[in-house]
Amino acid sequence: MNFDKMMDLPGALAAFTYSDKGELQSHVLREGTELTPQVLDLLARSCVANQAIASMEAIGWEAVTGQTGFQPLKGFSVVGLEWSVVVNGNCGVVVRNRDIDYEASFKAVQAG
Amino acid sequence: MHIIKQLMSIPGVIAAGEYAYRGDRFSYEGALTDEFARMASILCRGNTLSVNMQSEIFDSFAENCGCRPVQGWIVRGDQITVCTVGNYFSFIENRDELLNDVMTIMRAKVGDVQDDLLVNLYAKLGGDTKEALY
Repeated sequence: MNFDKMMDLPGALAAFTYSDKGELQSHVLREGTELTPQVLDLLARSCVANQAIASMEAIGWEAVTGQTGFQPLKGFSVVGLEWSVVVNGNCGVVVRNRDIDYEASFKAVQAG
Repeated sequence: MHIIKQLMSIPGVIAAGEYAYRGDRFSYEGALTDEFARMASILCRGNTLSVNMQSEIFDSFAENCGCRPVQGWIVRGDQITVCTVGNYFSFIENRDELLNDVMTIMRAKVGDVQDDLLVNLYAKLGGDTKEALY
């Protein structure tokens, strides 16, 4: 896991990894951020759940509509008021909205 | 220009739409059938309410941590990305810079989603929102 690369993203506030169950395993927090390890742990758990739901929806959507291009999923993001969390697999990054480059963030977590 | 038309004018945007709180009223343009647009509206509404519920839990652990109210979410597929902001959604191809452009337009056009998403979405139906909700 290359935390340095993820924290180099413009506006990055935190980078983290988590288990398949969503337990926070490792993290880096930008100094001064309001985020805490406890919030990151909750965030990781929700991200595991959201990725599972998105995967189910992608499989269902392709089966029902015949459209392709959704699978395999390359990531999921929740856009909050001030920051967005971008995750894929077992790693994620939290980035300030006013600075975020979504494509670079997805690439970073895919590489992670 | 209306947000859906503006999004559809961008090369690589497959479809864009707007859905209401109940998920059964929607408008859209692009490569979807009416039935698929209805399904997409229900799916997007469900996910939007789910991530908002999650953000309220985060907020109870760290008040004003910057997550709430949730503005939208993105699912990055292999070749297609689905993004939503407020009660608007778009299906886009995975082209360089397209996701950033679409998100910038959606955030700018929709504006900040207000604190009570249920009221915000339900208000699109008209009538007495509070009576209908509470």
